[in-house]
Amino acid sequence: MPATRALSVRHMVVRASSALLAVERVALMGLMYLLTGLILVNVVTRYARFPIYWIDESAVYCVVWLTFVGASAMTRLRLDFAVTMLTERLSPRHQKIAKVISTGMVVVFGIALIVTCMLWMDPIGLARAGFDGRKLAAETFNFLYTEHTQTLNWPTWVLYLTLPIFAVSMTIHGLANLLEDLELVPRTPPKGFALSELDGVN
Amino acid sequence: MITSAAFVAIMLVGVPIGLCLCLAGLVYIAASGNPVLFQSYPLQLFGGVDSYGLIAIPLFILIGERRHHAAHRRHGDGVRRLAQGRARLRNILANMFISSILGSATAQVAIMAQIMVPEMEKKGYDKTFAAGLTAYGGMLGPIIPPSVMFVVYSVLAQVSVSDMLIAGIVPGVILTVMFCLVIALMGYVYNYPRADYQTPRQRVMTILRTSPTLLIPIVIVGTILSGLANATESAAVGAVAAALVGKYWTKEFEFSQLPQMMLRSAIYSAIVLFLVAAAAVFSWVLIFGKVPQETAGWIQSAAKDPVSFMLICNVILLIIGTVIDGIPGLIMTVPILLPVATDVYHIDPRHFGVVVVINLVLGLLSPPVGLCFFVAAAVTGAKPGKMFMVTLPFFVISCVLLVLLSLYPSLSLILIK
Amino acid sequence: QAKEFRLGLITPNGHSWNKAALKFGDDLKAATNGRLTLTVFHSGQLGNEPAMMQQLQSGALDMGFIQAAELGSRVPHIAAINAPYIVRSTPAVAKFVRHPAAVKLFEVLPQETGTIGLGWGITGMRAVFSSKDLNSLADIKGMKLRINPTPVYRDFYSSLGAAPTPQVFDAMANGQVDGLEADLEFSWNQRFDKVSKVILQMNAVFMPMAAVVSGRVWQTLPAADRELIAKTVKSTLDAQIDELAGNEPALIENFKNAPIPIRQVPPGDTEAVIAEFDKIWLPKAPVLADLRKVGATL
Ligand code: NA
Ligand code: NA
Repeated sequence: MPATRALSVRHMVVRASSALLAVERVALMGLMYLLTGLILVNVVTRYARFPIYWIDESAVYCVVWLTFVGASAMTRLRLDFAVTMLTERLSPRHQKIAKVISTGMVVVFGIALIVTCMLWMDPIGLARAGFDGRKLAAETFNFLYTEHTQTLNWPTWVLYLTLPIFAVSMTIHGLANLLEDLELVPRTPPKGFALSELDGVN
Repeated sequence: MITSAAFVAIMLVGVPIGLCLCLAGLVYIAASGNPVLFQSYPLQLFGGVDSYGLIAIPLFILIGERRHHAAHRRHGDGVRRLAQGRARLRNILANMFISSILGSATAQVAIMAQIMVPEMEKKGYDKTFAAGLTAYGGMLGPIIPPSVMFVVYSVLAQVSVSDMLIAGIVPGVILTVMFCLVIALMGYVYNYPRADYQTPRQRVMTILRTSPTLLIPIVIVGTILSGLANATESAAVGAVAAALVGKYWTKEFEFSQLPQMMLRSAIYSAIVLFLVAAAAVFSWVLIFGKVPQETAGWIQSAAKDPVSFMLICNVILLIIGTVIDGIPGLIMTVPILLPVATDVYHIDPRHFGVVVVINLVLGLLSPPVGLCFFVAAAVTGAKPGKMFMVTLPFFVISCVLLVLLSLYPSLSLILIK
Repeated sequence: QAKEFRLGLITPNGHSWNKAALKFGDDLKAATNGRLTLTVFHSGQLGNEPAMMQQLQSGALDMGFIQAAELGSRVPHIAAINAPYIVRSTPAVAKFVRHPAAVKLFEVLPQETGTIGLGWGITGMRAVFSSKDLNSLADIKGMKLRINPTPVYRDFYSSLGAAPTPQVFDAMANGQVDGLEADLEFSWNQRFDKVSKVILQMNAVFMPMAAVVSGRVWQTLPAADRELIAKTVKSTLDAQIDELAGNEPALIENFKNAPIPIRQVPPGDTEAVIAEFDKIWLPKAPVLADLRKVGATL
């Protein structure tokens, strides 16, 4: 019984990671189309003498979201700059240990980022203040929920949400990679990513 | 101290560099006895990419993605045909124009070596020479626009992206010309095979066939210089130009490929941008701990004037650059060295950027441990040690250029308004 | 007891505010025989202004020189100081920011931003640098104008009929905008005159900076230290204000020697512009009415 439960937890992690990756895939395409579109509209409208005031800021936040959504996806796809000069000289067994440590670090970072986001966004304090940002600010000097962006005038916390989302998805992807590295689950090839000749460069 | 030790330790285990930077930042905060900084940590990560200049990166990568795609599809055509004529010179030029703009010289060398080296070997070139040459061709990519390394630098240094791209032109052209001269000279000395004879008509055709790829840097620099668009927007215009050229001129692009292309560009951008975010966190903790200030004091005691400071920087950057790829290298060194360069020695930040970028890329190619050679060797099966010897002249002239740049800043600043 | 303070600001080394920050550190050290020291983090080394505000609020950063634009985007009451035509010359700015009415604006800071305001520092009145000919306010109509993206400036320049955009500064040199607005000191350092055809002194708006201390840090300081810090900040800022206002004639002389004309907005009818602006901003920041009354007496 405990064995099957452990098995089902493992599969749940992998399934959650795959589902997340599918969402991230669509989000990344969408953000990239949006970014290109925004910049081209900016060129055209400026030449038509009707520059749209909020385009620059929108494009910047588009790139910020692209960064963290993409960073989460690339973790699962195991794409990143890493220094491999030492590890590639190790024996296969030691290489495996190094791999487990380095994947474990992803999980450590994911969890640490969740903790720092909790400290920063203080969801418990916010709930205690009856979800009133001004009350939270008065009680704790945390003014996060009272701020707005300069040209879009959106509440900034909405844009900052990419960080807690990134922290959680990074943790789930890290766990899925770790389970694969420990050979507790079989490797799942990512779906819908035809990554070109750059695979395996780093 | 703890931060650097933690950083080096996890980096050697093979933890991705972005993650190393993030983790080292956390370790520093934990060790600093200032736990309130944990609260600012996520916002610093966010703030690292909350910058207008970085918008250019996904767009530049989109252009590059289209061109890689083109290079790959025209198997036996295009790039390969480039390799057929004057293979040696073409190798350099192809690398310059079909340059990877990932800001990763290693990635670029891996791609180009796969395409070019077998072709050159077929033409009778020594494999080692072909592989070494490809590695040096990879050096030009980050210096000629579009260049993600310059974009990242301009964000780190808070200078205009357009200025940076223009500052790279003269040094890039000098380097290309010097490389071509060395190749011609070596071809004469070692009697490498000559190109097949081409009639003037054939020559014109070859140039026309390769000109669509030549068009992209021209579109980018042209839109910036004419005032049509800034560097970021020029990248969007360039992406559209690249798509139209691919669809209607070279006919190797279909709009149905667009979604996958967008996806790949987004992921590769995220690789670079996450590094920038991680570097922002890392440099924030370094600055909070006053590391740059202390480094400044140390360098000041060693260098009495701007020229000796630049020479010291060249050495430091070359050494760091041997094992660290372009963008991560920038991210680690610029926050520490730039304030010293501008505040103490009054060096123009744009000029400094050109020197830093060339150094970091040359580092990858410097004997005896330059990483790019091992990449080229892994892809082609050539011997890295022999490659170092064969390409030593390139290394020497690149160092000459760096010394010239250190002495004459006007080389990079001359075209800037 | 001994304490090392950290002060962050966004301007680069050599800017008049940075010199003031360094002098403040020296004075503080001298007055306490080295017990209280200050490290200045310039050029936004600790992050942009929103990031510095967050660090001030959490207590990670002790002090900051924060522009009124940043504070004003959080608190409309503070944004009132950016309103056009409160005063109409840099010498008047120098008097105005030290007037009790301007200092009183800081009263809302602890409640609204978690920081304590100790005084204003200034830059001079802002001018428009244009690549097309400008003689009066009417000529600004239809210009693509790069502005500081604070909401007050946006409303002001929009009311003049310009199409404001928050581009980066090199937009002007690159020809993506017809003009930009900035203070004269910054403009001289950036040599905007070299990419312009004409300079129009608007004498309408200026961008002051507030010297603020983290509320959390302030609570922990003994009363004597608070008093000493407040006094030292004030004397440093006094010197900064006087020096900046004093340097302006020489700066204008520099621009007059440049090959392009530097013109003044004719002092004629600004009533309509003020009325249109106040219609938007008086409801948001009622204090604006008092500031206008004070400004008119200077
Ligand atoms: Na390039
Ligand atoms: Na390097």
